[in-house]
Amino acid sequence: MAAITMERVSVWYGRVKALNDVSLEVEPGSVLALIGPSGCGKSTLLRVLNRLVERTPAARVAGRVLIDGHDILAPDVDLALLRRRVGMIFQRPVSFPFSIFDNVAYGPRLHGMKNPHQLRRVVEGSLKQAALWDEVRGKLRRPAHGLSGGQQQRLALARALAVNPEAILMDEPTSSLDPGSAARIEELVVHLKGQYTVLIVTHNLQQAARVSDFTGFLDRGQLIELGETSQIFTAPRDRRTEAYLTGQFE
Amino acid sequence: MKRGRRWYAVSAGITVVALAIVLWVLLLLAKDGLAGWHWSRLTRFPRELRSGGGIAPELVNTVSMVMLAECFSAPVGMAVAVWLTDYAPPAAWVGWLKRVLIGFQSIPAIVVGLIVYQTLVDGLGWPLSVGSGTIALAVLNLPAVAVLGATVLSEVPGRLREGSLALGATRIQTVWRLMLPAALPALIDQLGYSWARLAGETAALIFTAGINVGPRWGWFQPGETLAVHFWYVRTEGAMPDWRMVAAATGLVLVTITAGAVLGAKLWAARILAKRGVGVSERG
Ligand SMILES: Nc1ncnc2c1ncn2[C@@H]1O[C@H](COP(=O)(O)OP(=O)(O)O)[C@@H](O)[C@H]1O
Ligand SMILES: [Mg+2]
Repeated sequence: MAAITMERVSVWYGRVKALNDVSLEVEPGSVLALIGPSGCGKSTLLRVLNRLVERTPAARVAGRVLIDGHDILAPDVDLALLRRRVGMIFQRPVSFPFSIFDNVAYGPRLHGMKNPHQLRRVVEGSLKQAALWDEVRGKLRRPAHGLSGGQQQRLALARALAVNPEAILMDEPTSSLDPGSAARIEELVVHLKGQYTVLIVTHNLQQAARVSDFTGFLDRGQLIELGETSQIFTAPRDRRTEAYLTGQFE
Repeated sequence: MKRGRRWYAVSAGITVVALAIVLWVLLLLAKDGLAGWHWSRLTRFPRELRSGGGIAPELVNTVSMVMLAECFSAPVGMAVAVWLTDYAPPAAWVGWLKRVLIGFQSIPAIVVGLIVYQTLVDGLGWPLSVGSGTIALAVLNLPAVAVLGATVLSEVPGRLREGSLALGATRIQTVWRLMLPAALPALIDQLGYSWARLAGETAALIFTAGINVGPRWGWFQPGETLAVHFWYVRTEGAMPDWRMVAAATGLVLVTITAGAVLGAKLWAARILAKRGVGVSERG
């Protein structure tokens, strides 16, 4: 569980300002949902936290981001270590073209785990945490690409959990899935609460209401409002939040 | 729509004609080659003036030289390919290097042969040999590996790379543990074609590997290959059965190149099947 603090963070892609002076705090072990119209900067915000944003050559980040008190934007930060501590799940499930086992073992192996018994234990534990174990036990040598979309998303979660992160970023993790699979991911998010700090971007407002402790509303790169989920959904303070929640957004 | 269909018909027609010509040549080869075929041709040495000569040293030279040339050029070419695709050097550099590589590819093989001749044979005093020929093949192959390798690597979806980085992999780890394994089937497929191309090379070899064979195999032994032998026998052959020797050589060459291409394809397909690519929903 990590405490995350952003202080006046702005991001530019060349001339385009994608995040504008965003400040927020996430309590350790809580779930923060980020909502807002597409293009408002939700993905950018997540990608600042594991510094994947820097993969865009023209990207520039200003401000301070603290994870457990450490400034992760500092130039001497070990990116591999940071990304190990802050896992990420993407909109389309990412499965490597290997077996189910090798997908989950990918991270631990990167970080030097070689012992087969140890690897097996970690793989089994992570698959159980991701509620995939019962469906794949005894089939771990099968290709990951043979799994359904929902199973692949849970596999991606298992793979992220296998390196023992403290926070997990989820960028619209259910928007490419059928309702049944989406519901299983939602259950998992609720389950992860308390063990991991979770930031989840979603277009599904009901989902945000169901899974999160806190909700932040972003518009055109600005964090308009952030508060307890119940408060945001029942009594938003800002007119724009209310307009978005009631579907009256331009 | 109509226009598209007409072009489709034209290109289909050209393909059919080209295939017919290839088939015709193969039939001619098969007719002469099989008529004078004897398995001992695979184990005997060639004969200059009598009939019944074999192509054993040419076969060994071809396989060994192509294999060694791949061993030299593939790792270096792939290193260039990885650097081009994964190390995102300044864009200007990449464009420049790609142009240079493509330029190199369009240099006629005979010029590559001449350059290698100038450096190794004329410069360092190497004989016309397996060694000089292997180096010529490796030089010829290098830009092709780099360009094709870069193409194959860039076809691995960027989101896989991002998924690996997001797990805390470094760039070099991502290359070794994800990019190269993910691209492996396509690389093996390309290796088959590259093998075939090198096995069929003549121009670069005539004055680097030579048109003779030695009593045994060796780095500095004369290095005539099947393709060169085919050309030599067709144009200068003084043995009574030259027509059949040439055809038999051609047949063996076609067989090992087709074998390499097909073998590579089967190997690649096996890997893909194991990975379940194209497999739909399954438990
Ligand atoms: N790689 C990029 N290069 C240039 N502009 C980008 C890039 N990624 C995102 N943007 C721009 O930044 C803004 C925010 O994008 P993003 O964070 O993806 O929004 P969201 O996830 O909320 O849809 C958008 O205007 C988008 O066009
Ligand atoms: Mg997004």
